[in-house]
Amino acid sequence: MLLSAIVLLPLAGAVVSALVPKDRGDIARWIAAVVTAVDLALVVFVALRFDVGAGMQFVENVAWVPQFGISYHLGVDGISITMLALSALLSLVAVVASWNMKTKPAAYFAMLLLLEVGMNGVFLALDFVLFYVFWELVLVPMYFLIGTWGGPRKEYASIKFFLYTLFGSVFMLIGIIALYLQTGTFDMTAMVGAGLSESFQWWVFAAFFLGFAVKVPIFPLHTWLPDAHVEAPTAASVLLAGILLKMGTYGFIRIALPILPHAANQWAPFITALAAISIVYGAALAFAQTDLKKLVAYSSVSHMGFVMLGIASGTVEGLNGAIAVMFSHGVVTGLLFLIVGMVYERTHTRMIQDVSGLSNQVPVAGGLLAFASFASLGLPGLSGFVGEFLTLLGAWKSDVPAVWVVIAAIGVLLAAAYTLSMVQRVILGTPSPIVSKITDLTVREVSLLVPLVVLTLVVGLYWNSLLRFTDPAVARIVELLAGA
Amino acid sequence: MIGVGWFIPEYLLLAGAFVALFAEWLFGRDNAGAAVGAVTATLAALAAVLIGVREPAFSGGLLELDQVAVTVRVAIAVLSAVYLLWLAARGTAPERSREAAALVMLAALGGMLMVSARDLMVLFISIELATMPAYVLMGYRRDDARSLEGALKYFLLSMTTSLVMLYGFSFLFAIAGSTSFARIATAPDAGLLGGFAALFVFVGLFAKMSAAPFHFWAPDAYAGAPAASVAFVSTVPKLAGAAVMVRLAAVLVPGAPSLLAMFVIASLASMVLGNLAAFPQSDIRRLMAYSGVAHTGYMLLALSAGTASGNAAAVFYTIAYAVPSMAIMLIAAEEGSELDDFAGLAARRPAIAWVSVVFLLSLVGVPPMIGMFGKLMLFTAALEAGRLALVIVAVIMSVVSAGYYFRILRAAFFADGSSEPSVPLSLSSTVAIGILAIATLGIGVFTGPLFRLLTAGF
Repeated sequence: MLLSAIVLLPLAGAVVSALVPKDRGDIARWIAAVVTAVDLALVVFVALRFDVGAGMQFVENVAWVPQFGISYHLGVDGISITMLALSALLSLVAVVASWNMKTKPAAYFAMLLLLEVGMNGVFLALDFVLFYVFWELVLVPMYFLIGTWGGPRKEYASIKFFLYTLFGSVFMLIGIIALYLQTGTFDMTAMVGAGLSESFQWWVFAAFFLGFAVKVPIFPLHTWLPDAHVEAPTAASVLLAGILLKMGTYGFIRIALPILPHAANQWAPFITALAAISIVYGAALAFAQTDLKKLVAYSSVSHMGFVMLGIASGTVEGLNGAIAVMFSHGVVTGLLFLIVGMVYERTHTRMIQDVSGLSNQVPVAGGLLAFASFASLGLPGLSGFVGEFLTLLGAWKSDVPAVWVVIAAIGVLLAAAYTLSMVQRVILGTPSPIVSKITDLTVREVSLLVPLVVLTLVVGLYWNSLLRFTDPAVARIVELLAGA
Repeated sequence: MIGVGWFIPEYLLLAGAFVALFAEWLFGRDNAGAAVGAVTATLAALAAVLIGVREPAFSGGLLELDQVAVTVRVAIAVLSAVYLLWLAARGTAPERSREAAALVMLAALGGMLMVSARDLMVLFISIELATMPAYVLMGYRRDDARSLEGALKYFLLSMTTSLVMLYGFSFLFAIAGSTSFARIATAPDAGLLGGFAALFVFVGLFAKMSAAPFHFWAPDAYAGAPAASVAFVSTVPKLAGAAVMVRLAAVLVPGAPSLLAMFVIASLASMVLGNLAAFPQSDIRRLMAYSGVAHTGYMLLALSAGTASGNAAAVFYTIAYAVPSMAIMLIAAEEGSELDDFAGLAARRPAIAWVSVVFLLSLVGVPPMIGMFGKLMLFTAALEAGRLALVIVAVIMSVVSAGYYFRILRAAFFADGSSEPSVPLSLSSTVAIGILAIATLGIGVFTGPLFRLLTAGF
C-alpha cells in the first residue's frame, strides 16, 4: 500500500486543489506543499526500510484486466528508488519555488501534483500498460504548464513537446503489444529472460528506442527540448529537465536492457555514437547561447548523452555512472534553473550580456550559481563528477568503438569551456545596469536551494550514498546482458 | 409466446417515442418530450441489462440476443438516455425538441434491432428504421438552406447505398436460398458471385459508417446540421453499424476472404484521409465528421484482423469513440460550432473546458481514458493478425489527430474569448456531459468487465 499511497496521494491532492475557489490560490499552494512534503516523507521512509541487496520490494500486484494479463503491479528496486527520491524531492522544490504564482494558482498546483502522479508512477510501474498510462499522463500537465504559464512562444513549445513525445510513445506502444503477443503478459518482471528470438528483440528494441530516445532526448530527436525548456515556467523547467528526461533513460535501463538484452548489445555501438554526438553537439550549442536558460537546456542534451553512453556500455561502471548522472543532473540542473529563474524574476531578462557581474551586486545568488555551474561541469568533489567519470570508464572498458569514447571525453572539456565562459561573463565582472538595481536572494529562496546544494556535496564526496542502492540492481542487469 | 418479453426495451422506446410526440399536449411543455425519452431510455437500458443473453424462440431465429447484441443494446440505450437528458435541458435550437426526442428514440430502437437481427430482411428494415430519423434530424433547421442541402445529400447517398446493399442481399439470397445468417454462413462457396455480394453489402455499410471512400457525404451533412443533431447521428447509429459489420463479416468472410483486403484498403483510406482532412477544418462539426471517418478507419483495422479478438476490439473501439465524440458535439452545440467559439472556454466554463480535455485526449488515445484501451485492443488484434504496416500508419495518424484535437484545446485554454457564459447554466445538461466524462474515464480504468463481455460474444 505504501507505493500506491506515493502515487495516489498527489492525485488526490490534484483533485482537491483543482476544486479550490479561484480567488483562494493560497489554499491550493498549501495543499500542494503538504502533499508533496508527505509524499517525500513516504519515499524517505521506503528508502530507509529498503534492503539494498534484495530485488523488487514493497511489491503490489493486483489483476486489472485479467483476460489480457494486465495488472496493477508496482515495486521498487535500487534503480527506481533513486529516481523516485529525485522525483519526490524536485516536486516539493517545484511547489515551493512557485510559492508566489499569481496566475490561476489552483489549476497550476493541480497540474504540478498531477505531474508528480505520472512521474512517480513511471518509476514504480512493473506492468507495461500501467507504465504506459503514467508515461502518457505526464504529457498532459506538462502541456498545460508550458502552454498556460509559459513564456512568449508557449503555445508552439507546448504542442511541439506534446506531439514529439506522443510520436515516440506510440511506437513504444507497438513494442509493448509485440512483447505481449510473444509472452502473453504485460508484466515486465515476467518478461525478463523470456527467451525472445534475436531478430524479434532487434525490432522491438527499435520501437522502444524511438519512444525513449525522444524523451531523453538523443540527437537528432532533441529539437523539442530547447523550446520546451525555455518557454516553460521555472518549476516546470526543473521537473522537465530533472525528471521527465530521466524517464527515457530509465526506460532503457528498466525495460530495454533486461528484456531485450541481445538487441541491447547489438544496438550498443549505434547508441554510443549518438550519445557521443549528443555530448559534443549539445556542448557546442550551449557554448553559442546568449540566453541563460537555453544554455542550461543545451547542456542537458550534453549531459543526457553521458547517461546514454553509460547505458550503451552495458558495464557495471557505466550503468552505475548513468544513474549517477541522472541523479546529479536532476539536482544540479534543478539548481541552475531555479537560480536563473530567481535572477529572471528580478531582471526580467535572461540574456547573458544583461545579467553580468552578479557576484558583486548579489553575492549569494552569484555564489550559488557558480557552485551549481561547477557541479554541472563535473568538478571532482561535486556530484556531476561521479557519473561522468564512471560512464567514461564503463564505456572505455566495454566493446564499443573507442573513438566515440574519446569524442565523448572531449565533451567534458567543452563542458568546462561553456560553463566557465558563462561563469566569467555572468558572475564575474562589473554589474550591468540592470543587475546593479537588484536585491539578493531571500531566505525562502536560499532555503529552497540549500537541500539541493547539500545533496550535490554529499553525493560528490560520498559516492556510495547513491551507488549502494544502484549497484546490486545494476549487477543483475549486467549479468543479463553478458548472458545474451 | 415465448420470449416476447425479452424485447421490452424496444417496446419501451416505441411507446416513449409516441408519448414524446404529444408531450406539449400531455405535459404542457415542449421539452417534456425529451425528459420522457431520457426516463424511457434509462428504463430500456436497465431492462436490457436484466434480460441479458436470450434466444427468443418466437422469432424463429430472426432475432437473437447474444452477448454482443446485449452489450451494444445497453450502450445504445444508455447513450440515448444521456443525449435525451441533455436535449431536455437545451433543446434543438431553434426548433421544437419533442419531435427530435421522438426521432432519437425511434433511431435508438432501430439500432437495437439492428444488433439483434439474424436475418437479412430484419436487418434491412431495422437499418432503415435507424437511418430515417437521422435524415430528419440532420435537416432539422427547415429555414437553413445548408442544413437542407446536407440532409438531402445524406438522404440521397444513404438511399443509394442502401439499395446497393439490398442488391448484395439479393445475391446472398440467391446463393443460400435463405435470408437467415446461419444459412448464409453455411452456404456453398459461390466464388465470384459471393465476392460481389459481400462487396455490395459492405459498400452500403461503409457509407453508413462514413468509411472512406464513401465518406464524402458526412462533412457536408454535419456542417449543415445543428450540432445537437450531429452529436446523436454521428455516434449512436455507429454503435449499431459496427456491431452489424462485425456480425456480417463473421458470416461472409469465410466465403469471401477478399473482404479482409477490402477492410484493409478502406481502413487505410479512412485513417489517412480522415485525419489529414480534419486538420485544416475550422468548423467543429466538419472536424468531427472527418475525425469520425478516421475512427471508422481504426475500427476497420480491427475488423481486418478477421479474428474473434479483432471483432471484439472493433465493437469496443466504437463505444470508445462514441462516448467522447458525443460529448464534444454536445459542448459544441452549447458553445457554438466554430473553432473560435471555443476561445476562452476555460475562463468562462472551466469545468466544461477540463472535461473536454478528457474527451479529446481519449479520442487521441492517451491513457487512462477509454480511447487508449480501445486502441490497445485493436492494435493487439491487428498485430496478432500480422498487420504491422497498417498499425504503424494507425499510430502515426493518431499523432496527427492529436494535432487537430489540440487545436480545440488551444482555443479553449490559450485563446482569449468572451468570459460571459454563452448559454445559461443548466444542471441537467452539465450532468449529461458529466456522465459522459465519467464513462470516458471510468470505462478506461475498468476496461476488464466490458471487454470480457465482448470477447465472450465471439
